[in-house]
Amino acid sequence: MSNFIGLIRNENMKIYSRIGNLIMIVLLIGFIGLTGILTKTDKTKPVSDNWKQELKEQNASMQKEIKKEPVMKSHYERNIAINEYRVTQNIKPMDTKSQWSFIGESPDAIQFILIFTIIVAGGMVASEFSWGTIKLLLIRPVSRSTILASKYVSTLLYALLLIVITFVFSWLWGGILFGFELSPGTHLSYADGKVIEENMIWHMWKEYGFASILLLMMATFAFMMSTIFRNSSLAIGFSIFLSMSGTVAVQLLSKYEWVKYILFANVDLKQYFDGTPLTKGMTLNFSLAVLAVYFVLFVALSWLVFKKRDVAA
Amino acid sequence: MNKKPLVELKGVKKRIGKKDIIHGLTFDIYGGEVFGFLGPNGAGKTTTIRMMVGLMSLSGGQILIKGKNIESQYKQAVSEVGAIVENPEMYKFLTGYQNLIHYSRMVKGVSKGRIAEVIELVGLTNRIHEKVKTYSLGMRQRLGLAQALLHSPSVLILDEPTNGLDPAGIREIRYYLRQLAEKEGIAVIVSSHLLSEMELMCDRIAIIQNGKLIGVQSTKEFVESGTERKVRFLVDEIAAARHAVSHHVKSERITLGNGFIEAEMERELIPEVTATLVVEGVKVYGISTETRTLEDKFLEVTGGKEIV
Repeated sequence: MSNFIGLIRNENMKIYSRIGNLIMIVLLIGFIGLTGILTKTDKTKPVSDNWKQELKEQNASMQKEIKKEPVMKSHYERNIAINEYRVTQNIKPMDTKSQWSFIGESPDAIQFILIFTIIVAGGMVASEFSWGTIKLLLIRPVSRSTILASKYVSTLLYALLLIVITFVFSWLWGGILFGFELSPGTHLSYADGKVIEENMIWHMWKEYGFASILLLMMATFAFMMSTIFRNSSLAIGFSIFLSMSGTVAVQLLSKYEWVKYILFANVDLKQYFDGTPLTKGMTLNFSLAVLAVYFVLFVALSWLVFKKRDVAA
Repeated sequence: MNKKPLVELKGVKKRIGKKDIIHGLTFDIYGGEVFGFLGPNGAGKTTTIRMMVGLMSLSGGQILIKGKNIESQYKQAVSEVGAIVENPEMYKFLTGYQNLIHYSRMVKGVSKGRIAEVIELVGLTNRIHEKVKTYSLGMRQRLGLAQALLHSPSVLILDEPTNGLDPAGIREIRYYLRQLAEKEGIAVIVSSHLLSEMELMCDRIAIIQNGKLIGVQSTKEFVESGTERKVRFLVDEIAAARHAVSHHVKSERITLGNGFIEAEMERELIPEVTATLVVEGVKVYGISTETRTLEDKFLEVTGGKEIV
């Protein structure tokens, strides 16, 4: 085990000694910083004391919209239900210019984390081949499986570090810009025709968790591509392309029943907790099973190829 | 050579696709010797070395290192091996020291003291905390040697170790490899395309061509055997010298040059010929033996193909 920790330290040393990987962290912080400043200077007014009346007006206009645009029906229904709940239960909507609202926006930064993690994952095995260092790496009394595992774990640790940085920096920056709030109130979500109350901090972590599923799957995919093709450009390019287009493609194909077997139809588990599933017949357990199958496939292919291959680079 | 071999190759075969690259190599390498691995490009030297360190699988036969099978007992076998395969490619964005730390974490029992010792040994103490990308090829070669020696292996495998070194560096590494073999009893395996280099460095040389072992030759035996070699005498009087030499050597084996005379003869004959020259009043300014015998032999067995 101490041996494995040594290997992870090696991989970390290689990740964090390269300036490019540190610049990505700086970019991430810069992005959050900029979003904060834009939100601060934004002209949106704070939630007025007359918010109950405003929500009722919003609901009335949405009722009309439903008739015009039946496609958006489920979306409007959700908002109307939540607004009504706020009025009856006296739960004031959160101010956009507040610390926790700002933190609530930060899962958007996971888009960046996704790209940055794919860049690291795509180079993880391929770079050792292009540097030629793979020959010195694999002639040690450590099995290839252990080396591959240490590389995979280090990739995930990099992603985790970026997520933690995002959360901590959003909390800090949000607090500095909008004031620190220790009890951020209640979040409302809507599922199966019911409104559910949730603790805000718990809700934020759930948001991060949901957003991280795509991250985990695509990092694993990029890692697999890197191992199989030993070409980091191919691994990175293809993985980013899939991440960007996958979700859209799934929406376009949602009329077909087989779409539910595609990875990207299942990465958004939020659809089961707050919203409506992509197609009928999809359940949380179904999605978890599909994700597990893809995950095992990606890991197994990487492992088999890495274990068996003659190193002739 | 009566001890147990450290490295044993038994009918080693390698097939890639439908092509046989290595047709069954069998030879042993012992502790305390520097073993040369010689062959034209594409002969299968590097492939064999890759199989010896577990980078490639074997299609047939087996390789034992200290009696441990490189495939089925990989960890035990490879922990006895230190190697540079092809060029010593290190992590350029890390310092030399970080590179060594990296490899030390992959084996058991390499202390900070040992790392410092190895750095001292290869003479990198002054530059070890600089990034490898600032190193010259010679320094990278030394760092490569350092990582190979880190865990005190009993077998050291070096692919083209003098590549990119200046003459002083080559002499140094030659001296150092001999030391390792003689003092520490390590089996040093070296591949090189520089024949003269091999002759100076190696105790025995295996010649392979097209994946077949052509022969394993002891360098010393070769040099000291009765085999005829070209001997060059630097003399003033060519005609007189020719007369003197012709007492011992048939005239068709004598060639004349500008200020020198060359004759093919056995080693034992050299003092006699020299004595005759002196007796006949020829001034001898120098005697040199052309150590091209191995190359000749090599060209002979490999059918005179270019060796690069």
